[in-house]
Order: sequence, then structure tokens, then C-alpha cells
Amino acid sequence: MGNVSCILLSGGIGTRMKLATPKQFLLVGGKPLLVHVLERIDTIEEINEIIIPSPKDYMKHTEEVLNNFGFSTPIRCIEGGATRQESVCKGLLEVSNEQSIIHEAVRPFVTREEFVELIQNQDEAAIFGLDIPFTVLGGNDYIEENLERNYLINVQLPQRFPTEKLLAAHLNATSKGLSFTDDASLYFDFYKSRVKVIKGSEYNLKITNPIDRNIAEVIYKEYILGGNGNVYNV
Amino acid sequence: MSTMSKTCIISGASRGIGRSIAIALSNRQDITNFIIVSRTEDGLQETAQLMNPTKNVVYYAMDLTDYEAVQELIETVGERYGSIDYLLNVAGYAEPKSLLETSVENWEMTYKVNVHSIFFLTKEVVRFMKKTGGKILNVASTAGSSPRPGWLAYSSSKAAIISMSQTLSDELSEYGILVYCISPGRCATELRRALAPDEDQSTIMQPEHVAEIVDNLLSDNGICLDGQDITVRKQMTKVSSSK
Repeated sequence: MGNVSCILLSGGIGTRMKLATPKQFLLVGGKPLLVHVLERIDTIEEINEIIIPSPKDYMKHTEEVLNNFGFSTPIRCIEGGATRQESVCKGLLEVSNEQSIIHEAVRPFVTREEFVELIQNQDEAAIFGLDIPFTVLGGNDYIEENLERNYLINVQLPQRFPTEKLLAAHLNATSKGLSFTDDASLYFDFYKSRVKVIKGSEYNLKITNPIDRNIAEVIYKEYILGGNGNVYNV
Repeated sequence: MSTMSKTCIISGASRGIGRSIAIALSNRQDITNFIIVSRTEDGLQETAQLMNPTKNVVYYAMDLTDYEAVQELIETVGERYGSIDYLLNVAGYAEPKSLLETSVENWEMTYKVNVHSIFFLTKEVVRFMKKTGGKILNVASTAGSSPRPGWLAYSSSKAAIISMSQTLSDELSEYGILVYCISPGRCATELRRALAPDEDQSTIMQPEHVAEIVDNLLSDNGICLDGQDITVRKQMTKVSSSK
């Protein structure tokens, strides 16, 4: 596979964490979440372009963070959209490679090896996913249906798609007013084609709620510094 | 950290402990390039002459409290040699006074040399070192962990170095950077001579003793000693009298 672009979603404004600082700038292990991911991506030869859709008010701060840590891969910070979906779409319009990886800054513990596995996978599109270890039911205030747990996937990022096809699916969704919470479901809804699910990791935590930050510190110390995700093991 | 052509930066290398460290490390096989830095050109030149002549030694007489100058230096070094493998922050300043005699200028100068310069150098060096891993060693003092009436600015600045070292040890571990902190006790330096002119310097720890410890720490022997405040001092022994 040739060169790959990465759209790194960094569009949070910190609502669910109830913080003035958006999640992507929160410190874990002493450095911003955004930096954790970028430092791993920066070591992957195939990824030669990174696009970061960012809230307009935080673009300058994002660029300062990028400058302070000094990455080698060319990174462009663009103004994100009003929704996650719109941010991805705007990012895709900036991409110059045939393949794009979609990832988010608030999943800081994806290893270099996992990124490489995603890139080297031969399927047209691939994502990371996990089995669901608990019962999931359909409904809101009352149960409306039973769901077959063995058939459900806990969808994770990063995800890889052919850029042009994902962009076409996005433009279609936009024109029809369809909204999706991730790109695998958007892509599958449009093409109904096979999207490979690579077994993900429990450590690929999405930092969403305040307690996740405490969990993240433990994962960082035990898993990343413990050697599993440490790409600087010199 | 396995290549044999490493690059090492040493601040405060024009005299005392810094000079001894520069001389000792110049006899290591793994380091090829030395960048020695301090305010005093004459002292640096003398240090360079005392170092192993087979090594590439470059000296810069500069003010380490000038952030822009530090940025320029490290960028030059990083780009010329490709990596920076060792940083030794040895430069120090002391003008001990009681609280009521400590001027604002004295306080600020002590912090600028002892604390700010370490921050400046470390921040800029890590931009390069994070790509390859490396070792940073900060020279604090036993004054940083115990009371020293009359040394408020100096001792508190050395306490800051101990704290910085401990924090950086954790923060930089993902990059394979080990951060060491040594706290020498009484040592026979020019600085010490000025502060304790009546002392017989032959009876106390010599800069070479500290350099030997540093050389050991930066070898494989030191892999379990990072992130700690390591006291380096010579035990006073009773001179035995013959009958």
C-alpha cells in the first residue's frame, strides 16, 4: 500500500468532561492527549500527511501545541465542522492520498503496531472493533427488543477507507441529511460492501467522561510505559 | 543508545565539577562530540585542552540565561550532529546571603542560572532527544534537600532542580530519556573556596570524585538510578594516630 493520510479529529469542546479545556488538550502522562497519538503516527513512514479538523477557537492553540512538540510529518490544522461528520468530510476534501485513516485525539493509546496493521490490511476498508462483554438491549425508558450480543461490535477507531469512496458516501449523507456517529456505519450504509473488523484492544480507551482520565493515567503507566505501546523503547 | 558516535552537551564546563565531568566523559568510547558551554571562554578553552584530544570538542562562551541564545545553540548542535544523546546541566551560581541581605538581583540571578538555564537547555534539547532517547543529568546540591540558613536563594533553587529532575524523569520516560539528579555535598571547587576560604580543600570531596560518579551513572550501571536525588559526598574519616 502507498502513502496514507490521517484525519485526526480534534474537535471536542469539553462538554461531557465539564471542563473549560477541550479533551484533546488534557494532560495524560504529562502531555496533551492530542500529542500521544501524533507521536505514534509520526513514526509511521506510510502516513505522510495529517489533517486536523479543529474548532475555530482552538486552531491557534492546536498549532502552538504542534509547534512545541516538533513533528516531522506535515500536519495541517483546518477549521472543523459543526458536527463530527462534517469535520471528517471537510478533512477528506483536504486529503491528497488514495487511502485515509480516520482517528480521534481522545483515543490516545492506539499503538504504532495497530496503525501499521490497519494500513497493511488488504481489505478495501478496515476498522478496529471489539466483542461486547455485557448485555445490550434495545429501547429507551422500557426495553423494546433483545439484541444478540454475539452479533454486535464495539466499534473503535482508527478506521481506514479509500478516500474518494468515503468522500462520496459523506457527500451523499450530507445531501440526504443523514447523520452517523462514525464513518464505518456511514460507509456501510452507502455501499453495503465488506468492511473488515480487526480485533481491537481494551486499552484503546475513548476518553469521554471525567473518570476516563483516571483510567487513562493507569493505562499510560502500565501499558504504554510498560512497553506495549512505547515506540521509543531505546 | 547503542551507537558509538554520541553527542554530549555540558554546561558549566569551564571549571570545577563541570570541567572534571567533561574530562572524565571525554575518555568514554561512546561519545564522539562534546559541546561544552559556560560564560567564560578562557576556562572553556582550558577544559578543551584537558579533554581527550581524539574527541571533537566545540566550546561556546555564552549566557545560558538568554533563551534565544540557547535556542540557537541547540538548533545548531542538533542539526549538525543529528542527535543529542547526553545533556549535563552543571552550571551553577551562588551568592549566599541572609534573607534580609538578599537583593532582588541576587535572587533573580541565582534562579536564572540555576533553574531557568536548565529549563531552557532541557526544553530545547528534548526536541531532538525525544527522537532517539538519551540521558540528562542535573547537578543539584545537598543544600536542596536540607535547611541552609543564609543560603535561601541557592538552596531553594537547588530544591527546584531536584523537583524538576523527578518530574522530568516521569514525563520523558516514554521517549527513552533517563533523567538523573545528583546532589554533591562539600566539594573542592573555586566556588567553595570563595565561600569557605579557611577550609583545607584537600580533605573534602574533589570534583574528580563527582565526575567518576557521573561517568558511572551515564553507563549501564546507572539504569536503575534515574529519577532520584542521589547524594554524592565524601564521608569524613577519623585520622588514626600512631602510638
